[in-house]
Amino acid sequence: MATVELDKVEKRFGEVVALEPVDLAIRSGEFLAILGPSGCGKSTTLFLLAGIYAPSAGEIRFDGVRINEIEAKDRNVGIVFQSYALYPHMTVAQNIGFPLRLKRVPIDESKRRVEAIARLVRVEELLDRKPAQLSGGQQQRVALARALVKEPQLLLLDEPLSNLDAGLRLAMRGEIRRLQRELGVTTVLVTHDQIEAVTMADRIVCMSKGRIEQIGTADDLYARPASLFVASFLGSPPINLVEGTAEDGAVRLGERSFAANGSGPLPQRVVVGIRPEAIRLGEGPIRGRILDGEPHGREWIWLVESEVGALRVVEPGAAPRHRAGEQVVLGWSESLLFDAADERRLQMPGPVPS
Amino acid sequence: MPEAAAWADLAARTRRRRLLVDATLWTFLLLGSLPILVPYLWLLTVALSGRTGASTTVLWGTLAVLFPALLAWSLIRLALPEGRGQRRTEWALAAIALFGLAIVTGPHLHLDNWRFLWNPLIADSLKGASGVGTKFPSVWSAFFNSLLIASAQMVMVVTVATLAGYYLSRFAFGGREAYLQGLLVLHAFPAMTLVIPIFLLVYWAGLLDTRLSVILVIVALELPFAIFVMKGFFDAVPWEIEMSAMADGCSRRRAFLLVVLPQVKVGVLAVAVFAFLRGWEEYVFTRTLLIEKANWTMSLYLFWMREDVMGTDYAMVSAIGVFYVIPSIVLYTATQKYLTQMTIGGIKG
Ligand SMILES: Nc1ncnc2c1ncn2[C@@H]1O[C@H](COP(=O)(O)OP(=O)(O)O)[C@@H](O)[C@H]1O
Ligand SMILES: [Mg+2]
Repeated sequence: MATVELDKVEKRFGEVVALEPVDLAIRSGEFLAILGPSGCGKSTTLFLLAGIYAPSAGEIRFDGVRINEIEAKDRNVGIVFQSYALYPHMTVAQNIGFPLRLKRVPIDESKRRVEAIARLVRVEELLDRKPAQLSGGQQQRVALARALVKEPQLLLLDEPLSNLDAGLRLAMRGEIRRLQRELGVTTVLVTHDQIEAVTMADRIVCMSKGRIEQIGTADDLYARPASLFVASFLGSPPINLVEGTAEDGAVRLGERSFAANGSGPLPQRVVVGIRPEAIRLGEGPIRGRILDGEPHGREWIWLVESEVGALRVVEPGAAPRHRAGEQVVLGWSESLLFDAADERRLQMPGPVPS
Repeated sequence: MPEAAAWADLAARTRRRRLLVDATLWTFLLLGSLPILVPYLWLLTVALSGRTGASTTVLWGTLAVLFPALLAWSLIRLALPEGRGQRRTEWALAAIALFGLAIVTGPHLHLDNWRFLWNPLIADSLKGASGVGTKFPSVWSAFFNSLLIASAQMVMVVTVATLAGYYLSRFAFGGREAYLQGLLVLHAFPAMTLVIPIFLLVYWAGLLDTRLSVILVIVALELPFAIFVMKGFFDAVPWEIEMSAMADGCSRRRAFLLVVLPQVKVGVLAVAVFAFLRGWEEYVFTRTLLIEKANWTMSLYLFWMREDVMGTDYAMVSAIGVFYVIPSIVLYTATQKYLTQMTIGGIKG
């Protein structure tokens, strides 16, 4: 399996900069997710790796070897598209066997490998059907089999689950992860769904507007986001962001002032990020009033108007413990502190009410 | 909740309304198609029964059988529920109609008008002499020329339109928009306006009175629209299929041949059929550019048979006409199953 490096790789389409120069190193056998909103350049990155697009600048290396000039057909990369892109005029078996046919693998060996991979992704019953006769989930598996059958050194998945319904998505998440572990193939998954990235990948690359915001494990991104963008993109319900000012080592949020938690100079304008699940209702010095509540199965999400601003709060338990209009007190145990000007996180803990 | 009786009443009313709508539709279709069908029917009856000169006896007889049969068929379709019973009644009706036709037309039928098929000197043996001189070519020579022009022209149109349509659909290049608009504008001009310039061009090129000249001229006139149609079909093929093929190990050309081309089969077929028919029926440019009798096509043969044989034998001209349209009908019947799947710029469902 291959290691992959992007070295200041850039992609422009005429005037449009789809990808600003990015650096990225993928380890051999790693499962990497590229996470970001629609249009941020995820697919572009994937197509650069596949050789479908040529980079405008920079170098792409597989196992340390520059492959910029190598065509897609010679890169030995398996790719699954969001729309699956099965060949409508071929049967499932012909679809899966297509890469082998192009490599002139002998018929009987090809047949054996197609059957083996079909068993692996559980479509061995469907080999004689045409793609139009398959359900979304089955098409997905066939596309996966086609990408895997040539034993690629790199597997690329472009939002492979976004066309499936919720139940199937859950099942396929596990399935893809299992396959990847079994085969040990270096894998890049593109997704806009944080749950997919968090549950499937070893590391996550968070992208926005053609730039890499942060690379790290799910825990890195969640607990130590590099920027406001990463902080607000991960976590559900999304993080509470409260704008404030800093003066004389204190942070002012709404009507309250907090002692800064670290040493070092603070910028004038800051943003404090408080995770909804870090806030506790009923204990703490901050006063507030419940505006509204939503049941979410085993937890409730409360919208609270507080002294520091509007806050979303997650409270476990199926039964509601508050009602709209009720006066409450609240506090939180940890928060994140960002510079409002450049939107980067400051290297010190955020303010906590005492 | 309305009573059961009210429900039944409502259902009956819906049934009556649907019957009325269907009946109106059938009537319109029937009346609308008669003006098109009757001339062809006449052509056919004259070709099979006429004796020097057109007679309408057989036509009226045929209509007297076919029209009631058509009416009866409409009634069967409207009144009987779909299924075995309906189909059996239809077969019975068809048998009765055929029997009626046999009685009415049987005594008049003969194949005399088709002698041109086996008598190559037919024109000279007819009354009067041909004004273009003696020795009309055999109908088979004209048939072969038409076939050659239509096929060669079809192959060229299909090849060029497919490649150009793909290129226009997939590649960005300077002036692409202008080119596309140009294609449509070109198609908007009536070809007739070009007869004289084309004649001069062909003359200067030294191609006058060659079948190649007709082929090239029709190709040039047919291409713009054919390219446009093919571009539409290629536009409907997703990019990702092609990208996927390249990741699977295809070069761009193989991806085109193995993966993209099979998705536009219907388009290729449609362009091929229409190009063939266009070449088969071509008259204006064959008339302008072909002089030598050995180069005559079916359309010219038909024209000269009618025009130039004194005391024209309309029965035989009709037979030639029927002979002339048979290939078109065969081709269309063989391919219409695929052609009807076609919608503008793609394949249904
Ligand atoms: N072939 C192309 N031509 C022009 N612009 C493109 C092309 N492909 C992508 N882009 C632009 O590049 C940006 C990133 O696109 P993409 O990588 O597809 O985003 P994502 O997959 O993250 O949704 C978008 O702004 C898009 O409009
Ligand atoms: Mg995308």
